[in-house]
Amino acid sequence: MKINLKGLAENLLFTLDVFLLFLLFFGSKVSIPVWLQPLGRMHPMLLHFPITLLMLAVLLEFFRFRATYAKETLYLNFTTGLLLTGSLLAAVTAIMGIFLSREPAYGGNMLGWHKWTGAGVVFAASLIYWSREKSWYKAPLAGTGALIVVLGLIFAGHYGAVLTHGENFVMEPISKTAAGSKVPLEDARVFEDVVMPIFSQKCLNCHNPDKAKGGLVMSDFAGLNKGGKTGKLFVAGKPEISLLLQRLHLPEDDKKHMPPKDQTQLTAGEMDILYHWVKQNAVTDKKVADLPADDSLRMVSAVYLAPAEVPDEDYDFGAADEDDIRKLSNNYRVIYPLARNSPALLVNFYNKANFKPELLKELEPLKKQIIALNLSSMPLKDADLKLISGFRNLRKLSLNYSDLEGPGLQELTGLEHLHSLSLSGTGVSAKAVHDFLKKSMVKHLALWNTPVKDKQLQQLQRDNRQVRIEGGFRDEGKPIKLNQPKLNAEGSLYSKPFRLEATHPVRGVSIRYTLDGSQPDSLNSALYTAPIPVGEDIVFTARAYKKGWTASDPLVLPLYRNSHKADSAVHVQGPRPDLNGGGPPALIDGRFGSLNIYNGFWIGYVDNPMESLLFYKQPVEVSSVGINVVSQVKNAFFPPLSFEVWGGPDKQHLRMLGVVRSGAFRQDDPEKIYNIVVRFKPVRLSCIRVVARNLKKIPSWYPDQKMKPIMFVDEVLVN
Amino acid sequence: MDKDILEHGLTYNRRRFLSRLSLGLGSVALGSLMIPDLFGSASADAPFTPGIPDFAPRAKRVIYLFQNGAPSQLESFDYKPKLREMVGQELPASVRGNQRLTGMTAGQSSFPLVGSFYDFKQYGESRAWISDLFPNTAKIVDDICIIRSMHTEAINHDPALTFFQTGAQQGNRPSMGAWLSYGLGSENKNLPAFTVLLSRGKGNGQGVYSKLWTNGFLESTHQGVQFSASEDPVLYLKDPEGMNRFERRKMLDKLAELNNLSYQEFGDPEINAKIQQYEMAYRMQTAVPEITDVSKEPDDIIKMYGPDCLVPGTFAANCLLARKLSENGVRFVQLYHQGWDQHGNLPNEMAGQARDVDQASAALITDLKQRGLLDETLVIWGGEFGRTNYSQGNFNKDNYGRDHHPRCFSIWMAGGGVKPGVYGETDDFGYNIVKDPVHVHDFQATVLHLMGLNHEKLIFKHLGRRYRLTDVSGKVINDIIA
Repeated sequence: MKINLKGLAENLLFTLDVFLLFLLFFGSKVSIPVWLQPLGRMHPMLLHFPITLLMLAVLLEFFRFRATYAKETLYLNFTTGLLLTGSLLAAVTAIMGIFLSREPAYGGNMLGWHKWTGAGVVFAASLIYWSREKSWYKAPLAGTGALIVVLGLIFAGHYGAVLTHGENFVMEPISKTAAGSKVPLEDARVFEDVVMPIFSQKCLNCHNPDKAKGGLVMSDFAGLNKGGKTGKLFVAGKPEISLLLQRLHLPEDDKKHMPPKDQTQLTAGEMDILYHWVKQNAVTDKKVADLPADDSLRMVSAVYLAPAEVPDEDYDFGAADEDDIRKLSNNYRVIYPLARNSPALLVNFYNKANFKPELLKELEPLKKQIIALNLSSMPLKDADLKLISGFRNLRKLSLNYSDLEGPGLQELTGLEHLHSLSLSGTGVSAKAVHDFLKKSMVKHLALWNTPVKDKQLQQLQRDNRQVRIEGGFRDEGKPIKLNQPKLNAEGSLYSKPFRLEATHPVRGVSIRYTLDGSQPDSLNSALYTAPIPVGEDIVFTARAYKKGWTASDPLVLPLYRNSHKADSAVHVQGPRPDLNGGGPPALIDGRFGSLNIYNGFWIGYVDNPMESLLFYKQPVEVSSVGINVVSQVKNAFFPPLSFEVWGGPDKQHLRMLGVVRSGAFRQDDPEKIYNIVVRFKPVRLSCIRVVARNLKKIPSWYPDQKMKPIMFVDEVLVN
Repeated sequence: MDKDILEHGLTYNRRRFLSRLSLGLGSVALGSLMIPDLFGSASADAPFTPGIPDFAPRAKRVIYLFQNGAPSQLESFDYKPKLREMVGQELPASVRGNQRLTGMTAGQSSFPLVGSFYDFKQYGESRAWISDLFPNTAKIVDDICIIRSMHTEAINHDPALTFFQTGAQQGNRPSMGAWLSYGLGSENKNLPAFTVLLSRGKGNGQGVYSKLWTNGFLESTHQGVQFSASEDPVLYLKDPEGMNRFERRKMLDKLAELNNLSYQEFGDPEINAKIQQYEMAYRMQTAVPEITDVSKEPDDIIKMYGPDCLVPGTFAANCLLARKLSENGVRFVQLYHQGWDQHGNLPNEMAGQARDVDQASAALITDLKQRGLLDETLVIWGGEFGRTNYSQGNFNKDNYGRDHHPRCFSIWMAGGGVKPGVYGETDDFGYNIVKDPVHVHDFQATVLHLMGLNHEKLIFKHLGRRYRLTDVSGKVINDIIA
């Protein structure tokens, strides 16, 4: 079979069409290998051929059916060849274009339009080629096809040009400067350097003296002030009713929203600037630095003028030998890469007991790659810094709590990449830091907890404005309240005499205490020096004191002896159900109510007295029975009127052992928690009955006669 | 016509059909060569290497101050004056929409709006509104990014907490700290990469369980190690009585030999994990006491964090310990402070809770900053969801409660490459998000991103399914990254 060039080309065209179709539908999943990228980048070069060839081919095709040409073999053959070549080149170009489009620089609507019009041209041209010999293919079809291809070429070409050269490429030399470089904050003028650049970048394309859409010219203040057809742009001082801001804030789909939907939109920060600018009467003559420090316009402008963040660094050194890294890395000198595919290394030292300067010296083979070094808490001396001066690419160095005194810092001035240095907790002097900063490029310096005084720190900051110096927490002398001491006793009950220990976590604190419930003071009350023997009922009250600090809140712990904890308890006449303190065991649960009555430990009686029975499995010898009560007149919480104690071997054989009666209640009775104790001759018993009679009627002197008295009792103490 | 028929035969003979078909298939095959993971598994091309970041990280370590129980955003960082104006009025049905309610307020016949008992003021360059309950946080406002537009899917504590920590509500998945330990490895081989500290305030609390710091299906070396307030901060670390360090070493070496034998026999990677854990525990015996000892901290530190930082088990003490652990290379320090579930008595309880955490949280930021560590340490403060703008149960202006609210809540982040400021916005009722919503998975994706990990690549295959912290969603919130 003779090799048929035309047949080969036709097959190739078919192949490329299918391939293109595939790319169009699965393009988003395709990743272009690096070696194909140059091919993609040839797209802008190659595209000129298919444009010209196809233009010419469809022009010939358009006139093909004219009587004069219809019989011309040369004309027909030439057109066929031209169309085939043009289509083929168009397909190749389109495929290259898709390769190119996968590079990160491209995206957005414009690309979509370009892609689909371009592909459309390829398929339209191919279709014409495949169908042009068919019987139904006549002059009108030929004409339409040709027109479609030409239009496709024009649009695809236009969109492509916009992609490559930008929207305003042709007119750009005429329209004035757009995005200028940003000026430093100190020199920036509010209108010229902050407000106007926003208009220039985002509005001027349509609202310039040449185009002036809506009659609006935004190229200078006069034009802005004048406004357009719809009216004035802004009312000075009133952003809320200003047309400018209304248009900006309309939903993007709204026809009146500005800038129009497919144009670059204003950022939130830029809108803030315009808002505050209008609010401040659209000033034109002020510098940003003239505005007060807490002024909103100044703040948003400062953000706008701040230099853009530097992208991730590209390092100009190669990777280290992996064997070296493995050999040098261990549990106390950890070496790890910054990221996958990055040559940069980070090194941390741990365990100061093992540290020797030689460990730093050993890092020599990696000196190019180390960009961060953490030597915090290592016993590093000034002389050792010489070893670090060889790490030319060091960015970040942490020397917190090392043994530095300062002179060695000079060794670090040659590290031109070093931008962050931490010296907190070291002995560096203000002078050493000053001398270092004169020659160093460092941008961030931590100096907390060093001999550098506040004043010196401020001076250093003034002299080195390019450096952010972190002075850290400075004690303003405002006293801080101490926390309460800690005791070795948890609850208020104890069964055997013991020693009460008090401690405080803060160094140098003194603890003063009383045992009678009175408030301790810093001068006269007993100073805690050794554990206190406890055998009686006491109320231990303690506060912590330290010079320069506020005394702690008093810690109050009543300590009651309860030698014989009952094994069980039942109510004969119970408390009000919602104040049951957790049921009968609340009398013997070892948990005490506090002055915050509703903590759930108190047992409250309103309509009936308290009457309960306590049982012991084994008889115990008892000489006193007490009950814990509270007096809080303001809430109508009154202690019992009387407290009776009965005892015996079981509940059928009880005899009264004693009774205590309260005096009359008065309005100025102090708020307190205390014990009512009934004492008697020692007696062996297995059952105790306690009865506490409550006040039923509110006293006549009580201000609020509607209140009902409540009697709260808690733990029963048997000794 | 004749010609056409003839031509048709020529055009569509079998040979041409086959050659065309093969050309077409060839094209598709050529194209498919360019789709890297069409046939192979995802890992065939660019294998994820555990222990190394995908790209240069902003943050090296995380300290997560989890406020367990869900602090109310309306009394902390989301200022809604309208709720005060409308106090007692019904929550408009149009605002509530179809939001489901918890069993605790579903039976409530009315939903009276209630404003914050506490006043708000504006602070810092961002003019962020912060309530009077957080005076110390207000002082560091220029270092933090307040996100007011967090939202979650769960409405009850346990699933919400589990969702935040593991990316799924049901549990058994690895916790965020475990994922980071797996993805980045440990900086300091003498300490675990993931540690957990618990504290409890006086407010109404909710439990936390060890499933929140589980390694899930990851190797057990990635499990969170809990430091407790007791005399033994890490359990079972001390040598048993009568055994010294030398004997311990001998015992470990013998044990490792035995374990190696059984590894050779069974090949279970968990055996190796076990050996490593024993070895780390041995090294932790010296590293941990040094870190938990706060007696050498200068007075300034104690004043900053408040004297409670010397009382083990308090939030302040845990913040100080978190700083020390982080400073020593622990990747992820997870704190939980319990007691933020204010269904009732909110003004009172929340004041207590805020007092517990405000000073120490702010101190932690200042402390990291003054050591030059804030730019490489990401600190996160926040709960598992928000609270409703209406009162739960009976209310008056100074005593009310709020129920669970998943649709919006506030958290803050600081350091580690986060841009200070305020992000996101809720409506005037503080009920729905109107701008820049951040889903929990977005939050997780952002944290991983800051740590140098692509959340879509941090994958572990388990039982035939590939798992990610962010499951099948999550997008990095670039707007809050400096």
